[in-house]
Amino acid sequence: MRSDKELKLSKKDIWLASWRWIFFALSTQNYEYMMGTGFAHSLSGSLEKLYEHDQVGLSKALKRHVTFFNTEPQLGSIIPGIVLSLEEEYANNQDNQEPSAILQTKNVLMGPIASLGDSFLVGMVNPILLSIAIGLSANGSLLGLIVFLILWIVLVIFIRHFLFIKGYLLGLDAIKILKNEKIKNKIVQVVTVFGLIVIGGATVVTSEVITSTQFLFDKNGMTMQKIMEQPMFGFISIFILLTYYFFLSKKKWSFVRLVCASLLAVAIILLFQIL
Amino acid sequence: MSLWQASLIGIFAYLGRNQVPWFFGTTGGWYGIGRPLVAGGICGFILGDIYLGIFCGILIQALYIGQITPGSAMHSDVNLASFVGISIAISSHTHPEVAVMLAIPLGLLGVYLNQLTMSAQVCFSKKAMTYAETGDARKIRWINICGTSISFLERFSVVLLLCYFGSPVITKVLEIVPEVVVYFLVISGRVIPLIGFSMLLNQIINEGWMMVLFLFGWLMCFIFKLSMLHLILVAFFISIIYLLAYTKGCSETILVQQDTLQRNNIEEEGDYEE
Repeated sequence: MRSDKELKLSKKDIWLASWRWIFFALSTQNYEYMMGTGFAHSLSGSLEKLYEHDQVGLSKALKRHVTFFNTEPQLGSIIPGIVLSLEEEYANNQDNQEPSAILQTKNVLMGPIASLGDSFLVGMVNPILLSIAIGLSANGSLLGLIVFLILWIVLVIFIRHFLFIKGYLLGLDAIKILKNEKIKNKIVQVVTVFGLIVIGGATVVTSEVITSTQFLFDKNGMTMQKIMEQPMFGFISIFILLTYYFFLSKKKWSFVRLVCASLLAVAIILLFQIL
Repeated sequence: MSLWQASLIGIFAYLGRNQVPWFFGTTGGWYGIGRPLVAGGICGFILGDIYLGIFCGILIQALYIGQITPGSAMHSDVNLASFVGISIAISSHTHPEVAVMLAIPLGLLGVYLNQLTMSAQVCFSKKAMTYAETGDARKIRWINICGTSISFLERFSVVLLLCYFGSPVITKVLEIVPEVVVYFLVISGRVIPLIGFSMLLNQIINEGWMMVLFLFGWLMCFIFKLSMLHLILVAFFISIIYLLAYTKGCSETILVQQDTLQRNNIEEEGDYEE
């Protein structure tokens, strides 16, 4: 019935699957399946090879992976890697294993990894690199954004590819890379310390950009503009920033509410000036 | 701006959109050239005023620096806001702060457009389901790549139309309205970008003392006039020192924990002996 020789994916197959995930993970994202189709796209080449003479098996395997799947695609690249190793194991040993274990693995992993990726990679590393870029571009040069693009893309593509390969090589054990609380806490803490200092610098640069763009208005009584175009505006800006921070963290105000409130405040101050 | 400039901006806006694969997937697209600072550089380059483009980019980037988009449920569409807002501001030769004020309503518009596109893309996934039924892996790959055509139609046409027809309108409006209104826009556009940094702080800070680090960085740049490169060096060394202290602290707490554990065990054993 089945040939006895073991099915094994080559290095090229794994690399192809990894790069397909890097590029096409999100291209058909929708509310019903999220990244399901992209997941099937990533694994399809390897599945074709595993079920080369077994059309029914291929169809079943593809059906397992076009279903709903949602995670943070950058740190989440470890999941298709793990699933690929499980699929290979299953294709070699179809009689003794249940394919539902593969689906379960997917569903269990996608939540925690999404929250980790969103809070660390997207919520910390990207803004910190952008803060550096703001600082380097403050004089209107392209240097900052070129540095940002190169650093960000090289770093993240390396992480994505590394996690995919590790996921395939180690199988379910690969999760220990991301689950290691001690190292994870250490990295997050150190990046936080580094990032907060850099963000402090970026706020100064932003308020300097504001003070350096001087535009003349003819009105004589426009004291607000005069205040804003002095170097001392840095003090006022950090005061405004801390006020925003207070309303965000203590009063739990939303973004739109903060925008509306500050528009209202500016309008009221302007009215007082004119009257 | 001319038609070719508007369509070029439309193409870049498409490349920087959330689901578009062509530039390293979401890494180079949404989180790379879709960021307002990069968009400012691109728009400035296309429209021939890099200086103003970067300034607009910095202000809008500051506003949106603390935005995460979990599960593609976002507060505002950074991509549409920055590409359209910045290119209109540049082509009407107005203040960069006006770009910020344009970006906020555009970002809200983009959220609805994004919802529309993502709902429409379901048909491709449904088609992929039927291909999986027949076991056709080639066609699944093909249909997944085709899925990006809807985002192209949406983003390219919307950006093209808004830039091409919107910029003369905005220029005209800014000429007609009384100066107080422009003044109001500029002052608000200077205050509002600070919201982004406070949102970022709110995300990152989980212990109160960390505020000191932020104030330290601010002080270094504001009082001692450090440039960003120097500040990076300072921050790097401080984080290394912190890492060393943290590792030492961790191992000490583990030792203490082990110590108390052993003591408890001894006490418990003692209890048993009695």
